[in-house]
Amino acid sequence: MKTSATDLELAIQMDEAARVAHELRLKRDRQNRNGRILKHIFLIIVSCVMLYPLFWLLASSFKPENEIFGSLTLWPSEFRLDNYTKGWYALPISFTVFYVNSAIVTGLSVIGNLVSCSFAAYAFARLSFTGRSFFFALMMMTLMIPYHVVLIPQYVQFLNLGWVDTYLPLVVPRFLASDAFFIFLMVQFFRQLPRELDEAAMIDGCSPFKIYWAIILPLSLPAMGTAAIFSLIWVWEDFLAPLIYLNDIKSYTVPLALRLFLDQEGQSAYGQMFAMSVLSLVPVVIFFVLFQKLIVRGIATSGMK
Amino acid sequence: MTKLTRRALLGTMGAAAAASALPTMPAFAADRSIRHYWWGNPERDKRTFAVIDTFQKKNAGIKVSGETIGWGDYWTKMATQTAGRNMADLVQMDYRFLFEYVNRGALKPLDEFAGKSLMIADFDKGPLDGGRVDGKLYALNIGSNSQVMVHNTRAFQEAGIDADLINWTWDDFAKVCEKITSKSGGKMKGSDDLSLMIETFESWVRQNGREFYGPDGKVTATVGDVTGWWQMWADLRKAGVVRDKNKTVILDPPIAESGVAVGDTAMSHYWSNQLVGIQAVSKDKIGAAMVPHKAGGKPGQFIKPSMFLSLSRDAKDTEAAIAYMNAWVNDPEITGILGLERGIPCSPKVRAALAPKLTEVEKLSVDYFTAIQSKVGPLPLPAPKGAGEVRDAFMRIGTDVVLGKVEVAKAAGTFIEDAQAIIERAQ
Amino acid sequence: MRRFFARNAPAYVFLLPWLIGFFLLALGPILASLYLSFTRYDMVSAPRWIGWGNYEYMFTRDRRFWKALEVTFTYVALAVPARLIMALGVAMLLDKGLRTIGLYRAIFYLPSLLGASIAIAILWRQLFAADGVVNQVLAMVGIQGASWITDPDTSLYTLVVLAMWQFGSPMLIFLAGLRGIPRDLYEAAEIDGTPGWRQFTRITLPLLAPVIFFNLVLQTIDSFKTFSSAFIISNGTGAPADSLLFYTVYLFNEAFKFFRMGYASALAWFLLVIIATFTAIAFFTSKYWVHYENERD
Repeated sequence: MKTSATDLELAIQMDEAARVAHELRLKRDRQNRNGRILKHIFLIIVSCVMLYPLFWLLASSFKPENEIFGSLTLWPSEFRLDNYTKGWYALPISFTVFYVNSAIVTGLSVIGNLVSCSFAAYAFARLSFTGRSFFFALMMMTLMIPYHVVLIPQYVQFLNLGWVDTYLPLVVPRFLASDAFFIFLMVQFFRQLPRELDEAAMIDGCSPFKIYWAIILPLSLPAMGTAAIFSLIWVWEDFLAPLIYLNDIKSYTVPLALRLFLDQEGQSAYGQMFAMSVLSLVPVVIFFVLFQKLIVRGIATSGMK
Repeated sequence: MTKLTRRALLGTMGAAAAASALPTMPAFAADRSIRHYWWGNPERDKRTFAVIDTFQKKNAGIKVSGETIGWGDYWTKMATQTAGRNMADLVQMDYRFLFEYVNRGALKPLDEFAGKSLMIADFDKGPLDGGRVDGKLYALNIGSNSQVMVHNTRAFQEAGIDADLINWTWDDFAKVCEKITSKSGGKMKGSDDLSLMIETFESWVRQNGREFYGPDGKVTATVGDVTGWWQMWADLRKAGVVRDKNKTVILDPPIAESGVAVGDTAMSHYWSNQLVGIQAVSKDKIGAAMVPHKAGGKPGQFIKPSMFLSLSRDAKDTEAAIAYMNAWVNDPEITGILGLERGIPCSPKVRAALAPKLTEVEKLSVDYFTAIQSKVGPLPLPAPKGAGEVRDAFMRIGTDVVLGKVEVAKAAGTFIEDAQAIIERAQ
Repeated sequence: MRRFFARNAPAYVFLLPWLIGFFLLALGPILASLYLSFTRYDMVSAPRWIGWGNYEYMFTRDRRFWKALEVTFTYVALAVPARLIMALGVAMLLDKGLRTIGLYRAIFYLPSLLGASIAIAILWRQLFAADGVVNQVLAMVGIQGASWITDPDTSLYTLVVLAMWQFGSPMLIFLAGLRGIPRDLYEAAEIDGTPGWRQFTRITLPLLAPVIFFNLVLQTIDSFKTFSSAFIISNGTGAPADSLLFYTVYLFNEAFKFFRMGYASALAWFLLVIIATFTAIAFFTSKYWVHYENERD
């Protein structure tokens, strides 16, 4: 009897609890939904502010030359594709060539950056060795020097190597971990991974390279994805080094070619320059969209830890 | 050997890609090669590469590699190449920078070639001498220009302005500004505000009977000159007949942003070889006027080389380089391709050959050029090292004047003091 | 000796590309610029040794040097926190379970793609002009705006706004960092009834500390070295009236426009000292607020 009464009480209590829980959930869902909507509204407003300049650029690329500066309205008085069709062939060499050149330089540089910087970062973050902090400090120092003052000594150096007017000065340093930004970035992420992983692998007889390849890299996909995106964008947009090292117009990259449109003192072609600028963003955006998946997929993998 | 292969490999990667798009590229490297470096824009680049093609066809043994970039980046690259002793054989030079490079020994004189492989005997002497420093010819004039007050002919007509735009004075100028502003109800102002244009200010100093820089390279313009200049524009600003001060303090704006191009004003200041460019971005037909004169003053404006071709210190095959240079200013086919794009050629023969084929704007610039011949003063002496920095200081200090943040007289004193210090430090 | 070798060899093998790059390619030019800072060097004739001359001139006679420092420090003090807070805030908003996150992330990154292009310079001039879009918006709420970009008193702030607007790269790094925080920590906190802001201070901040540290250091270094945006918007001169005379813009002009590479090198080395000092402070204090999971004990 007693037990049945307790059972009943228990049943009532459970029922009550379930009801309260259900109500709580409903309330939370409602709050969450409201919160989500608010969040979306906020994000959409921010998006508009963020995108305005892009719209402006896009609109300007369809405008006739004198409307770019003369009017404040976003909407062109007439849509012209001229800037695109003419711009592509406006220079003595067509943009097809510049795109191929940029793709070569960027492709090689991204690979170089990822490989060499992750190597260095692995050493700095996961291995202990004599001189670690000394070399780390040196590496950080290379980040701090204003590029413009090493430009000339560097130019002389590459000139003596016979590298000027080739892609070597643009590509080779990237295979030698010249961009300390990425080393530092990867170091910060690698250091976050649990130390037990390496230790366990080490006991299993894994070589440091195996640990780097089979443990550290797969667990650092968000970081590697981020580095790949930055690396691609920065190399693609890099202007100063190609300006200094490339002489022959046939070897120019896209950003360098864009500078051929403008002449402070004479006839410029802003509309065409904008049209080509818009097009130059396309590969980068595509790459961004593809690679940010890698950042997302990174969560799934790191869920195992 | 390895160096060569590596270099060949990467250097031609781009070229290989280019080859498909550019069937005219020679299959074999010629045995002699020269590099020509210039600043340009799409139009100028097209013409120049066409010149290179023509030259190479006529001189099968010489390969010319054309290297080009926009004005803003040109000088950075030039300085780097100079430092590396890897300048192109032939470089385009500007009057503003000529002396900086000559004084530091980066260019070779051309006198030994004149009359032998460089035929310039029949060229106009004045414009040609613009390339002389200390009596030696360091730079070959490939076009002359002069200052010009570009004006909107429609606005001038509507306001019923009948001033003599070659002989007018600053008083006339002020009246014109007033008329245009009132006629348009303030929508279109009379003129751009030239407070920060040191080039026009230099003419102003000359009108007062002095040069900006004396023969010893010292600053000879006076505080009074500067005060007068800035005060005149301050008065026009106060009267509301020149462009808004916030537009004035944007330095060296692109042509497309100038008052005449945008339609804010009826007059802008430019160089005569830019007329074509301005017309291209202006809705209305443009005309050319001289910089106004000082009543009873000396001639201030002058004709100067707009661009030069110079032989660099690092040139190896000077013979080929000079042959190319000579073709640039004499070969009828080549000068025909170049036209007036870089300025008015100083060879009378070339000018005569071009005359029948000129467009309307080109004709405007030639007519203007002819009209001012007797109204201009002699070319000023070469500016000393540091002149570029003085120019920056003028614009910097002038900005405060335009924005009304400092008194005219005080700013003028500061400027002259700074200019003297800059010149002294640069020597 | 053999043990030393065995202990260090793997690390040096991994470090080899960097070591080669640093010692064969990077170090030479760096030392050369240090040497040049003690010379008068116009890039055409050979450099001439002048001892401490450049440094002396810099500190005792160069008014524009002090102006450049003032501009740069003001900018760093404003732009770094503004950009980081913006980036962290948006990253956290995006991190928490929105299905459209990819789209927003791309949108928010787009401005950074435009970088410091000429298009941005022209646009910024139009946006912040007296009759520009910014003032039109302000006019709607009854504020009469200034001519922001041409007024020396306000022009610097338009660049701070530009820096805020281009918060894409720190945001992306924050996002990657947030992804690394195990979800179960938040779930556990949720069950314990820990309020949101305490989850932030107890979980997010400590676990994100290495990434925050990275962004802080890098953004500070980058801001001290800000060049392109200031150069393009001020037409290369630091105009109006030197209000945008960023340190590196000044340095660039000294080097390439006025042919004083020696002096510019001295300027660069002084900037290096400043940046290194700030970085060292950041690294030193990081012991107290940045903890790495594997190095906690």
